[in-house]
Amino acid sequence: MNRFELLNLLQNTIQDELVICNIGLPSQELYKINDRPNYFYMLGSMGLASSIGLGLSLAVDKKIISIDGDGSVLMNMNTLATIGNRAPANYTLLIIDNGSYGSTGDQKTFTNERTSLKDVAIGSGCQNVIECSGEETNENLQKALVDTNNSYVIISKIKSGNVPIKPIPLNAVTIRDRFRKEIGLVNYL
Amino acid sequence: MKISQKIINNLKSGGADFFLSVPCKLLANMITILENDKDIYYSAIPREEEGMGICAGAYLGNKLPCIMMQNTGIGNSVNSIVSLLQLYQMPVVFLISYRGTPGEPVGAQGGMASVTEDILNTLRIPMLQCNTEKDLDKISTFTNHAKVIESPVAILCNFNLMKDD
Repeated sequence: MNRFELLNLLQNTIQDELVICNIGLPSQELYKINDRPNYFYMLGSMGLASSIGLGLSLAVDKKIISIDGDGSVLMNMNTLATIGNRAPANYTLLIIDNGSYGSTGDQKTFTNERTSLKDVAIGSGCQNVIECSGEETNENLQKALVDTNNSYVIISKIKSGNVPIKPIPLNAVTIRDRFRKEIGLVNYL
Repeated sequence: MKISQKIINNLKSGGADFFLSVPCKLLANMITILENDKDIYYSAIPREEEGMGICAGAYLGNKLPCIMMQNTGIGNSVNSIVSLLQLYQMPVVFLISYRGTPGEPVGAQGGMASVTEDILNTLRIPMLQCNTEKDLDKISTFTNHAKVIESPVAILCNFNLMKDD
């Protein structure tokens, strides 16, 4: 299973949860599969999808899912410590770990070698850290979304590989406003 | 403590209700005040760039975030300011302890001090310089201004203003 197939599969599980999606191909694939206003596509700032979701989960009661990648988490690994100490129960971090920098040509990341994001997350204090295969991701995400008492970090190990895709045609402020409308904060759209 | 209390009061009256900090000894009193304030959210965080992301998320959830840091933190955060906060037009207040300004005992702070305002100018981030206690009266309006213009703004508190607080 590659990322495109995994993101496709998750569409049955994700309902009205607020999703912050990682830069580049993950967002582009998600947009192509099933564009929704409750999807916030992070167009720049590699590494910060996990942090944006954390900030949002501290501000609203709805369930938040940050969809991140192994390369991006490696870039902003300190945020796992913040998540480990501060994540509220409505926060789930889903790390799609394909062992490569997919958007830049599938160069290998350190999760292909000696680095285990599961161990880093546990060592950072994160609760309910689950490492699973792509096929097992849906059931683990469902478990996280029905649990109102705990935050989760799910590391989904999949194959690298991408589908041919175009940049997202939405501009950033449009993404922002339709997302905030989903939270009930915009009444002019 | 008087200066620190006044800064926090003015940030709050300007609408800031979500606070993060990467510590600085000049921010220590403000951090103590925030840790005991039940009306707002406060947390320390390990790195400023991450804080820009957390602030962005808090803004999406209707908070007016304020990140407190040394001016060195601006250097750690440039891409996240431009490619996240400014790209999506998100208001965030930067409350900056301006290390390396006159009175500073650590020579190594001089380098970032000499480029801090140039960086903020290049990023077109509105700045409020606080050199005296009277300048602090402008913080409330300036904080609200971030929300009005949907942009980050920077409040710079220089060394001598903070050192004896």
